[in-house]
Amino acid sequence: MMSQYKSVFKDETKLDINYVPYKLPHRDRELRLLTEFFSFILHAPGKMAQRIVIAGDVGSGKTVLSQRFGMNATREAEKRGINLHYVHVNCREYRGSLFLILYHAVSVFHPSFPKRGYSAEELLQILLQVLDEQDAYVILTLDEFESLIEREGTEAVYKLTRLQETRVNKPQRLSLICVMRNLKILEKLDASTRSTLQSNVIHLEKYSKRQLVDILSDRVSLAFKPLTVPEDTVSLIADIASSEGGNARFGIELLWRAGKYADADDLNVVTPECVRKAASSIYAVMRKSEAAYLSLHEKLFLLGIARFFKESERAYASLAEAEQAYAVVCEEFNVKPRSHTQLWKYLRTLSAVGFVKTEVSENIGSRGRSTIIYLPRISAHELEKELTALLEKDV
Amino acid sequence: MKLEDVLSSRLRIRIIKVLIQVGELNVSEIARRINANYKSTSMHLKILEDEGVLQHKTYGRIRLYRLNQSSPRARAVQNLVEIWEHANKGER
Ligand SMILES: Nc1ncnc2c1ncn2[C@@H]1O[C@H](COP(=O)(O)OP(=O)(O)OP(=O)(O)O)[C@@H](O)[C@H]1O
Ligand SMILES: [Mg+2]
Repeated sequence: MMSQYKSVFKDETKLDINYVPYKLPHRDRELRLLTEFFSFILHAPGKMAQRIVIAGDVGSGKTVLSQRFGMNATREAEKRGINLHYVHVNCREYRGSLFLILYHAVSVFHPSFPKRGYSAEELLQILLQVLDEQDAYVILTLDEFESLIEREGTEAVYKLTRLQETRVNKPQRLSLICVMRNLKILEKLDASTRSTLQSNVIHLEKYSKRQLVDILSDRVSLAFKPLTVPEDTVSLIADIASSEGGNARFGIELLWRAGKYADADDLNVVTPECVRKAASSIYAVMRKSEAAYLSLHEKLFLLGIARFFKESERAYASLAEAEQAYAVVCEEFNVKPRSHTQLWKYLRTLSAVGFVKTEVSENIGSRGRSTIIYLPRISAHELEKELTALLEKDV
Repeated sequence: MKLEDVLSSRLRIRIIKVLIQVGELNVSEIARRINANYKSTSMHLKILEDEGVLQHKTYGRIRLYRLNQSSPRARAVQNLVEIWEHANKGER
């Protein structure tokens, strides 16, 4: 009966990935720094524009930090009668297209603006014209910045950082926050663009277990009924999230799922066993959703590896075997295979993200040492299915 | 133009209705929605603008039309359309 349905949750939406909490434990210093970088916008907007980089590993709070900052900044600006807009775009969702990213920004002001009939450069000019007309300022966050560079090359960033050069004596209206996992991508930019960006980097350190406990405890009190989540449970979740590279997203998702298991088993408290059940269910799903972040050739390489394991029923593959499987996949998708050294880099990324694990094994065959590859905690069938679906969109 | 002349055109009335509904649109999109060609749409837009009912802004090659917010004529026409459409809904 509906009236007897009970739940450990008070408000599940507080565990939603899009929820932006008011307080961000262990990110106050970074939030203050960001606010400091943009303090001019409240006092002398138009006198300058800012370019900031936020970098940090998966689930280190980059997205939520920039969004919290955006909300705070626009609220402060509104109080002072400054027409400031915070526009957050996930570049990957726009397939890294500068045009679509800029279109999104323009559509904030003109929702029914036509989608064709002009180039990305013209669109940039249009955006500036719109901002001039409305005396508006924009902080544009380019989240998952890597996608933009991959798709458009460094030119796109060049255009975005140099636009003031054609607007002498006009107010500066567009500031940028570039969000990325790894600063390495900046090396692709031309020297002067790179140096502008590199001078304002906010680096988010991995969360420690203790820090994760604080973050999770806050969410527990927002989302769960009192006394339903014991300390031990939070601690176990923090341990697991910490072993996942300090990934707070993983921790919050685990917390939510553990709550679901408690409800399903009709329990009054979320027990550690609920966490363990949730963890084993989550691994497969997480690996799959992470696959969307991989570059084209990383996906192709991983697909090769997945096929190898699916077809051979072996536990380990040598690098040469993986490379062979990759070459076959490239042929199928009609793309030119990358070099051996590139594959090494891909392998490193894939193992950093956790899709594969690698080990160096001694004295196999004639060469002294060789690298072996295996799939931890994920079925090759599942992985193949997911990658094929993703690649059909890509290619 | 006299009122009877301005309002004697189906296309012009459709333009007004579309813009009341959407807020602002570019010429090709208006043409598509009122089911007319670009040239005649442009002409009707110009007439409505000259009469103070519409206004437009230019962004590169794009022209965005909307009701002329500051014009009593635009407000009167908008009123007329809204009351009319509302009454029609009630009948059904
Ligand atoms: N300090 C914090 N306080 C509260 N919640 C946090 C904190 N840091 C991260 N989170 C939460 O953890 C989850 C992951 O954070 P976020 O999405 O910002 O990570 P990210 O660094 O953008 O990761 P990715 O590189 O995968 O995009 C989100 O649900 C976010 O709300
Ligand atoms: Mg993010």
